[in-house]
Amino acid sequence: MKLTRRTLLGTMGAAAAASAMPLKAFAQSQSIRHFWWGNPTRDERTFKVIEMFQGSHPDIAVQGETIGWGDYWTKMATQTAGGNMADVIQMAHTYIHEYVQRGGVVPLNDYIGNGIDLSHYDAGANDIGTMGGDLYGINIGATCPSIPYNRRVFEEAGVEFDPLTWTTDDFAAACEAVTSSTGGAVTGSEDMSLYMETFEIFSRQAGQDFYTEDGKLTMTVEQVAAWWQMWKELRDAGVVEGKDQTVQLDKGMADLGLIRGTTGTTFRWANQAGALQGLMQDPLGLAIVPQRAGMQSGHFVLPSMFLCLTRDAGDIPAALAYIDNWVNDEETIKVLGIDRGIPPSQKGRDILAPQLNETDAMVVKYFGDTQSQILSTPVIGPKGSGEVRDSFMRTGTEVVLGNMSPQDAADQFVHDAEGILIRASR
Amino acid sequence: MRKFIRRNAAGYVFLTPWLIGFFFLALGPILVSLYLSFTRYDMVSAPVWDGLGNYQYMFEYDRRFWKALEVTFTFVAFSVPLRLAAALGVAMLLDKGLRSIGVYRAIFYLPSLLGASIAIALLWREMFGLNGVINQVLATIGITGKGWITDPDTSIYTIVVLAMWQFGSPMLIFLAGLRGIPRDLYEAAEIDGTSRTRQFFRITLPMLAPVIFFNLVLQTIEAFKTFTSAFIISNGTGAPADSLLFYTVYLFNEAFKFFRMGYASALAWVLLLIIAAFTALAFATSKYWVHYENERD
Repeated sequence: MKLTRRTLLGTMGAAAAASAMPLKAFAQSQSIRHFWWGNPTRDERTFKVIEMFQGSHPDIAVQGETIGWGDYWTKMATQTAGGNMADVIQMAHTYIHEYVQRGGVVPLNDYIGNGIDLSHYDAGANDIGTMGGDLYGINIGATCPSIPYNRRVFEEAGVEFDPLTWTTDDFAAACEAVTSSTGGAVTGSEDMSLYMETFEIFSRQAGQDFYTEDGKLTMTVEQVAAWWQMWKELRDAGVVEGKDQTVQLDKGMADLGLIRGTTGTTFRWANQAGALQGLMQDPLGLAIVPQRAGMQSGHFVLPSMFLCLTRDAGDIPAALAYIDNWVNDEETIKVLGIDRGIPPSQKGRDILAPQLNETDAMVVKYFGDTQSQILSTPVIGPKGSGEVRDSFMRTGTEVVLGNMSPQDAADQFVHDAEGILIRASR
Repeated sequence: MRKFIRRNAAGYVFLTPWLIGFFFLALGPILVSLYLSFTRYDMVSAPVWDGLGNYQYMFEYDRRFWKALEVTFTFVAFSVPLRLAAALGVAMLLDKGLRSIGVYRAIFYLPSLLGASIAIALLWREMFGLNGVINQVLATIGITGKGWITDPDTSIYTIVVLAMWQFGSPMLIFLAGLRGIPRDLYEAAEIDGTSRTRQFFRITLPMLAPVIFFNLVLQTIEAFKTFTSAFIISNGTGAPADSLLFYTVYLFNEAFKFFRMGYASALAWVLLLIIAAFTALAFATSKYWVHYENERD
């Protein structure tokens, strides 16, 4: 275990150094830590918010810590184990059950209206952050799935499509057009075999959700196999990104083919369009996850993230002040923009309306245009669903590499996922 | 007993700092981890006794456990002999009595200091990546490279190469060993007209046997425990397709990603037993190939 510990400290030290901001002053009597997963734009915005908060609350020192999505959960887990979680953390719907069941985050019921004002929130905006009648995660922005695409590449390839209704066949044709018109220099799309979120929409189009309300797996082998089969055909046709790129898991945003100019599309949550556009020259467009012909819509809206108060929060009044400022302060809302999602209150949306840039406006428009396609909200996975996601990517990798057929891999994935959930529920 | 103390006292005195560390820092956690290996423990709530449950799951159901063993054994089988060969080769070159040998020694030792670092692992990932230096060099001679790290067939060998490059510490030990071989043996061989190759196999290797044995045992243990490079290069997941799922990486994930500290403790104990078995095997076979010059009995 010595080796593990040493490495761990090394990693944490590096992360701490990377996120070091000179925000701790000794004069401040109270101090809190805020930990989030980020990207360059988001980190800049968040540190600005912290700075402003320090200005209005000189007695509270806030330490911001940030890291990429992939490392975030490892670091969070070690901090949880070590009893030194940050006071306020950013939470994803994939992991919220895990942390609630393990007691890592605490109920906020007593503080609502008594430290945190949420009276302006949309009705139902906090439903997903509520479990067993207790509110654990405050919705800090709604988002929905999207296929961001390079408009220049699509136009030059002569792709004509309706981004709000296109089908998987249209998608395949677009990939074909982009690849052939560029002589293969740009492939139509990333290979999304390993994107479980995108698969979830694909499967919902057939009316198939991932989990039941009581936390059982309901996903079928048939849907998983169909997904991997579809991508296998695109891969075999050579119109999506090569396997070497595909199997690199949890790539940073800058490594995406869309940003490097080697693919026409990727999958992202719509709120990330601003960050993507910030990294590329060509104009970005947003399309829905392609519709399967003759099936229903799988589109949905979710809180892209939550703010949670942790078990290890030392100075609760200071943490509450910070959270309250985050959801209510006009200047804070302006600085945050829609990077974390569309504000879940009319007040927030009104504050942002005048300042939206072209990309933001496109996101808001996309968000509005797709409202009519929402039939239901997916069931949030139980404890163990983060591990199921890992398993999905691992098994999918075998298909991408040609080591397993879509059918065999789907069989194995569903079997493994059931095992993971049984084990997690013990 | 008195004779034993007189003969070994100095050794134990030198061992004191280590012994203090072992009894006061390491022993407690080691025993606790043995207990935890029989429990389910998520590090937040109290451990729940589970008897042999963890071990049963490991051997009967856990495919990734077997995969991790396969990866780790492959790594040990390749990296240990290669690292020892590299170490011995360089040590023999340096043993020629070069001028400013201290400088060379330091230079060749450098990778060992750097190699375990996160920076080098990151560098390695870039070098062997799809657009990395390796492929650029290959391109100049007309070979189209591939994603060495993203291809599960080759990913582990990039780490073998990294491990081989860190030959510094066995090299220093070999160098000391080479210095200890009496020159007159070689002189006698020269007079008899023995070829260099024959000298190597008949004098150098046998005389070095104790040192080789020592290095073999240490490096094997070291190789089983490899963690940093695999963890960083695979983004902490063992990807692609679990081809970099080193035992320690799996153990780390079970403990710190999925909060199964009980299971991780069981994994740690199995690794300990494996390492112990290999060390015992090395000692058991050593009497057939290791001869000590000053054996007393």
